[in-house]
Amino acid sequence: MDMTQASKTKRAILGRRACERLDLLLLVIEALDLNSSEAMLFTSHKLGFQALFPNRVELWKRRCYNPLRKTTRRGNLSEVDAEALIKLLCSMADRLYPVLRQLLSKKEPKALNDERWNLFGTRLNELIQERMNLRRGAVQRLLSKEDMNSFHYELIFTLALAAGPGGVDRLRASLLDPFS
Amino acid sequence: MLKLSFRYDQTSARLEVDGLPDISLGHSEETIGIISSWTLQLVGSPELSGKRVHLESMMAAVLPYARHRLSGVKRAFGDEHQPVSISPNESGHKLLLRSSQKGVKPLTVHLDDAELTDLVRCLDALRLDIRVKVSWQIPSYRPLHHKDIADRVPFARRFTAALIGISAFVSVAAIGLLIPIPEGSDLSPIEARLTMPTRKL
Repeated sequence: MDMTQASKTKRAILGRRACERLDLLLLVIEALDLNSSEAMLFTSHKLGFQALFPNRVELWKRRCYNPLRKTTRRGNLSEVDAEALIKLLCSMADRLYPVLRQLLSKKEPKALNDERWNLFGTRLNELIQERMNLRRGAVQRLLSKEDMNSFHYELIFTLALAAGPGGVDRLRASLLDPFS
Repeated sequence: MLKLSFRYDQTSARLEVDGLPDISLGHSEETIGIISSWTLQLVGSPELSGKRVHLESMMAAVLPYARHRLSGVKRAFGDEHQPVSISPNESGHKLLLRSSQKGVKPLTVHLDDAELTDLVRCLDALRLDIRVKVSWQIPSYRPLHHKDIADRVPFARRFTAALIGISAFVSVAAIGLLIPIPEGSDLSPIEARLTMPTRKL
């Protein structure tokens, strides 16, 4: 079975940690693009998910399956919703790929890139503090990681590898890993 | 019959594929069904070229490598018998290309993360291009096995559930052992309790 066929047949319910990771990656998109909430809605409509996400509230409600959020929903994200969120994430990452690439490239001027990373890290931490339940140990760990830089780097690298239509299958498979 | 050429561009990579439609399979004139040659330009490296088998080998090494990397697993793909292999190194990723011609030394290309993602995007674009009707022999993306990611997951997280279960069982068993059995009775503790006289208030 080739990769294209696999993408059509494989769908599964995401685990708790996978929901956390998916929402965190969407948060990274928000940290990179200040206008991303509008862009996400626009992209979801462009991808044909207008019925699933007719407005920002519906999109937010799906993201609330992340148990680390201040406002959470019980139960599991449905297969259709999970697939739509994965495709939306990959499409948004594709749109932001030049920024992701710039952050990852070692050929960029180091001082300039350090500033970009600092700005991104600050924005991401602010968003985590704003949206997540700070009483949860997992959220506190997200904000107090000793190797914060490598954690942020992994998130950006993940988005770069998941960017575009080719990244959908890769990201889905990764989210379905055990321990995810 | 016209030879077709499709190009896939990224910032640091350009993949160009030449080929012909496979008339026996009824392909249209704008479809590549047979790949005759390809070239790959990576910024700062010599131009790479080859036949379909080499391109397929590159896809079979690079795409699973990227898939594993997405799960945080750093491992090499493609052995010494394959034309292409890729492995992690200190500065990023090492792409090793072995020529099928005798006497030609293997070529090593060092890629940083941005260059790797560019290459992956070029290969993805080719793989998903509806104008290229080639059946690629590439393993499908699947969730990894426990053993593949065991090293990445902290010990505590792997065994927390099992430890909680075992400690709960041991605690309950210990508490059960502390409850004394009534002396001089042949009845079991439960039977003894059932036969105890009840006090009316």
